[in-house]
Amino acid sequence: MLRLRSSAVIAASLGLAATFATSSARAANEDEAVTEPDVRPTLLWLATQLVPSPEIAYGDSMSRFGARWQITPVLYSWGINRKLSPWRFLVAEPLTRQSGSIELFFSPEYLFYGSRFTDGLVWRTGVRSYFPIVERGDYLSVSAGASHFTLGDRNGAALEAGAYVLYGTVGAQVTWSPSIAPMRWIATFRVRVF
Amino acid sequence: MTRAHALVVVLSLAVAACTFARGPAGEMAIVAPVRITQPVRSDARLAVLFVGHATLLVQIDDKLILTDPLLVQTAGQLSRRHSPVGIDPENIPLLDAVVISHMHFDHLSMGSLELIEKKTPRLFVPKGGLVYVPNFAFDTRELATWKSWEKDGLKITSVPVSHVGWRYGIDIEWMNSFSGWVIEYHGLTVYFSGDTAYDGDAFRKTAERFPSIDVALLPISPIHPREFMKRTHVDPKEALDAFADLRAKVMIPMHFDTLVNGFDSPGEARTMLADEARRRGIADKVQILGIGEQRVLVAR
Repeated sequence: MLRLRSSAVIAASLGLAATFATSSARAANEDEAVTEPDVRPTLLWLATQLVPSPEIAYGDSMSRFGARWQITPVLYSWGINRKLSPWRFLVAEPLTRQSGSIELFFSPEYLFYGSRFTDGLVWRTGVRSYFPIVERGDYLSVSAGASHFTLGDRNGAALEAGAYVLYGTVGAQVTWSPSIAPMRWIATFRVRVF
Repeated sequence: MTRAHALVVVLSLAVAACTFARGPAGEMAIVAPVRITQPVRSDARLAVLFVGHATLLVQIDDKLILTDPLLVQTAGQLSRRHSPVGIDPENIPLLDAVVISHMHFDHLSMGSLELIEKKTPRLFVPKGGLVYVPNFAFDTRELATWKSWEKDGLKITSVPVSHVGWRYGIDIEWMNSFSGWVIEYHGLTVYFSGDTAYDGDAFRKTAERFPSIDVALLPISPIHPREFMKRTHVDPKEALDAFADLRAKVMIPMHFDTLVNGFDSPGEARTMLADEARRRGIADKVQILGIGEQRVLVAR
């Protein structure tokens, strides 16, 4: 049931993004110069993606440390200047994300859980939206999202909320997954540079 | 040292140079005793109000242009200004344009743009800079070097300077968006460099195209550590060299005594500029404004 729900949430969110995309007006005049940024993965960017976000999972009356990494296959920004493409793949500038966006994300996670190394592996896929609060999200932004994940042979769904400062570089996320007891609540210190 | 290590060091120093605060030193800045509430001067054809850092309110007859607005208390969230904003943002009149020289947090401040969002119809950024100006009520346009925009006699042209255009550091490999600006109206010409290293060729070419610059708004800090800073920032002596290259009538310094700049002592750049201008015999052409001070350069 939860699996179905999370799939529905993801599908609905992507549908919403597609709607934004089709209705988005690229408003530049024909005679006006508009330069799309040459955003692309670089070695420096790749190195920053390897920095983990530490987290603590609580459930079963136990706390477990863990870490989370984040990959954004695709992001749609409604905060970005309306003359530019709102789509980003893998690499999204902080302002493009924090000024208002919706992203499909993939998060490998590891929790110190179980007797074997593989017992603590979590594969999470979800959709997250960012909303700017202060200085177009540069100083403060918040997020809400939903995800589906696997822990060993178990599947679960989760809801999450977050708040970020310093252009989204650091923040806090809380993830709630009612169906999988060992990780019912996860508090993540989100570290993300691009 | 590996290339990656070197890059990290360079980026860290650069960010420190442009944004990070080192501590309060407000008493070292010259601040106008009373903040001006009515900045539009009926007695002026050309007037400049120094708001602080690289923010200057330029009046050319009935046109008003604001440069690199930094009207909030912090740049990049971490760097606190140690002198007040030179004008209450509420008292900034309706503008004709805002120009942004580059993408660093102390020159492109989202909170500051929010404060003037409904006061300007347009904002200009260097080529490639649109991506760091989210949607606002005003129209944002990019101009490549030597390209101009003109309306009702007001002409704004992007001119070459020598700096860096990234905002976050990681974007250094694809963001190279920076520019100086020349603003012309009714036969008066204002030059605003934003941040720049000394680039005599660029300044002389600008002077060739704009042979009658009435005022050059030039940065004078950060000075130290010089070997590092000279790649991206002029010091007071180099600013005077640029002033000579531009063949402008008057120079007004900026980018000092607002945020901490590099390893400079508060007041150091201003003092060095005044001393060097005296030594060169051009002290009368270098007009150092206090924060919040307005100077009429061409009277009616």
